Amino acid sequence: MVFSSLLFLFVYLPIVLAAYYICPRKWRNLLLFVVNLVFYGWGEPIYVILMVISTIVDYTCGYFIDKNREKNPKKAKGFLIASMVINLSMLGFFKYSGMILKTINLIPGVDIPLPQLPDLPIGISFYTFQTMSYSIDVYRREAPVQKNVITFGTYVSLFPQLIAGPIVRYKDVAYQLDHRRETLDDFTKGVCIFCVGLAKKVLIANQMGAMWDAMQNTGQDNGWLGSWIGIIAYSFQIYFDFSGYSDMACGLGNMLGFEFLKNFNYPYISKSITEFWRRWHISLGTWFREYVYIPLGGNRKGFARQIVNLLVVWFLTGLWHGASYNFILWGLYFGLLLVIEKLVLKKWLEKCPAAIQHIYALFFIVIGWVIFYFSDDVGGMSAMGAFLGSMFNFGGVVIGNNALTLLMSYLPFLILACVASTPLGVKLYEKVKAHASAPFLQTVYCAVVLFLSTSFLVSGSYNPFIYFRF
Amino acid sequence: MKKVYRRLPAIVFVGFIAVMLVLLIVMPKKDFSVNEKRNLQQAPAFSFASFFSKEKTFENQFENFISDQTPGRDFWVGFNSSFCKILGNTAPKGVYYGKDGYLINDPTETKQLSRNIGFMEEFAVDVKDKLNVPVTVAIAPSTGYVCADKLPDFHYTYLDDDLFPTFADTFKTARFVDLRDCLKTAYAGGKQVFYRTDHHWTEDGAYAAYSELGKTLGYTPNPETAYEKTSYPGFYGTTYSTSGFWGVAPDDIEVWDNKANDGAVSTTITDGDKVIEQDDMFFYSHLDENDKYPVYLDGNHPYTVIKNTKADSDKKLLVIKDSFAHSLTPFLADHYSEIIMVDLRYYANPCSELIQNENIDEVLILYSLDNLATDDHVGRIG
Repeated sequence: MVFSSLLFLFVYLPIVLAAYYICPRKWRNLLLFVVNLVFYGWGEPIYVILMVISTIVDYTCGYFIDKNREKNPKKAKGFLIASMVINLSMLGFFKYSGMILKTINLIPGVDIPLPQLPDLPIGISFYTFQTMSYSIDVYRREAPVQKNVITFGTYVSLFPQLIAGPIVRYKDVAYQLDHRRETLDDFTKGVCIFCVGLAKKVLIANQMGAMWDAMQNTGQDNGWLGSWIGIIAYSFQIYFDFSGYSDMACGLGNMLGFEFLKNFNYPYISKSITEFWRRWHISLGTWFREYVYIPLGGNRKGFARQIVNLLVVWFLTGLWHGASYNFILWGLYFGLLLVIEKLVLKKWLEKCPAAIQHIYALFFIVIGWVIFYFSDDVGGMSAMGAFLGSMFNFGGVVIGNNALTLLMSYLPFLILACVASTPLGVKLYEKVKAHASAPFLQTVYCAVVLFLSTSFLVSGSYNPFIYFRF
Repeated sequence: MKKVYRRLPAIVFVGFIAVMLVLLIVMPKKDFSVNEKRNLQQAPAFSFASFFSKEKTFENQFENFISDQTPGRDFWVGFNSSFCKILGNTAPKGVYYGKDGYLINDPTETKQLSRNIGFMEEFAVDVKDKLNVPVTVAIAPSTGYVCADKLPDFHYTYLDDDLFPTFADTFKTARFVDLRDCLKTAYAGGKQVFYRTDHHWTEDGAYAAYSELGKTLGYTPNPETAYEKTSYPGFYGTTYSTSGFWGVAPDDIEVWDNKANDGAVSTTITDGDKVIEQDDMFFYSHLDENDKYPVYLDGNHPYTVIKNTKADSDKKLLVIKDSFAHSLTPFLADHYSEIIMVDLRYYANPCSELIQNENIDEVLILYSLDNLATDDHVGRIG
């Protein structure tokens, strides 16, 4: 189930909210666990089993890690390794086996028939990372063990962030799982954040997605400007899609008494790639830093080792995004840019005017999305090369008629996307926040977003979730 | 009071989703959508088999049920189209909101086009060689091409002028009739050749094509005065339904009836086990509906036979067609004692057998460009 659907908004959500607040507090985690499984099982009921297995495995590992940590550290470590192996095997089997087999088949003489692989279980990249954070944190004594399997299951399957993040580390919600207090103020805050997310997803991301898809099927030369406009639309689509989903998750969390950490912080206003990755998908960056980069030695084992560590992390970050080589390339591309910035570019960049820094960062971010978009499913490297070629074919057509038509058709949404990528709206809001009319403005905002989103959703204009396949 | 005010966003949000849920439950469920011309999904019965099925039957049906039965569905769709239009998107659902109330399909994809043209030429060669029956192909251009002045300022390029010459090149055995000029001339002469709210041509458009076809098929077209013209208001066609726009004026639909044929014409439609027979080519009961185009030959059927005992020849014509032929064929009936009309989307037998068994003298293949470019049934023609 996705948040930006009529089924979620008008059936699942009102029923769950009503049930949750009618339910006595001590049963709320159980209730959440059950509705989480309904949410997850809708569309792929068989994978509920996977979720339950994941819950039991990590609960058990956590339990034994905690029990043996003092007396028998080796045994504790064994359970930690077991948890990681099981989680990574699950991820590996469902997400990467096709890619691995295809790669092995590239070796001359080898021809393993590709088995009929099951569909990728939704959100598996997110919840396996979450459960691993639990085992590791318990092992490191950074989080208390969870003795109640239902409460633990609630954490693993928590529907707001189940299918597209943020990746909530166990230690960040450990206390909230047992001791959260829902308040009307938090609920109201949650409603507002949810509506921001809904607007990002339905009113911006879907429109930009429609534009980008149409741009690729105009049947004529879009021209270099047309190609740039297309990939910029895609850049907006992916940001608003993903951050909209994270906002909706945080908002829903607030409605249920949780507080999740921010996942995006206006990434497109960055002045460098380093800054971009501090602002983009923060929970994933944090995860890799904490559980891969630092354990590998981070920057403490000499310069050469740091570079290797960085490249390992970025290889994995890329691979996490999908079972296709372009994602690895995308990860390494950013890894390399980060290393270059660290070594030489940073000092030089800081002396440049801010505008140059923004242009520099946005240029490489947008080129990054070209690499990101062209996975094997949509033509892979050759399509990527052709598209990059069209972007820099400055001697050719400037903009095709069909591309121009699309630009004009989506112009208001494109402008809205530009403005919404900056903190301008929030800054304006901060100014009136203290004013007596602030709740009224919030109400109008929420009502307008709900109204427009409903019209777009019913109209069924366009509603695929890009982040589904990760 | 101040506290309540502070929580107004939550009250509005929860109120909205709760009211939608309640309405969804209590409102009577609609069976059919007039605008969308389809049955709406009803509440599916739950079973474990359908819930766990590979196709996720229950889940899909339930989601369709929710979206089909959302309270105020037509309002939301209409609002959305009109909202997008105001923001400058002239074709939010693939239909341009043009000038003077014209709703025009955007240019078609061309993916099936060259294949389909190839099938037709192959068929023509085959029929010519084996049965010595001539095949004529006529293709109607797009509305957006003919009525270009009705398009919004920003619109996709219509490719008719690129495509038609390639057809002319491909058809060496088949006789190709290019309908671009006759329609453009009629349109320039002030005739409404395409409907504003439907993708088909009007009687004026069909008549222009009929006059043009006479040059190749060898009949002398009747003058316009031969027909008794009756106009019926309130026609909302396919582009209206697809677009969802608010505030669109309906079309008038005309029936041009050659009274000289009264009592001489009969229509027999065979559709599966059902046979419909009528002493007329027009099915007036459809004029009660929003979509009135099926007034001509009762709309889409696999196999239709039209006989005219007063025709000026005793030749037999086979028409292989899409729905553009429905308004054109009644004109042709004056010149052929028998016309057999087949629709390859529903008729799967080889046409060459039909030509042989029915002693066909002449074959006309008639398609609209838009349909031909996307239809994947033309390969059945053989």
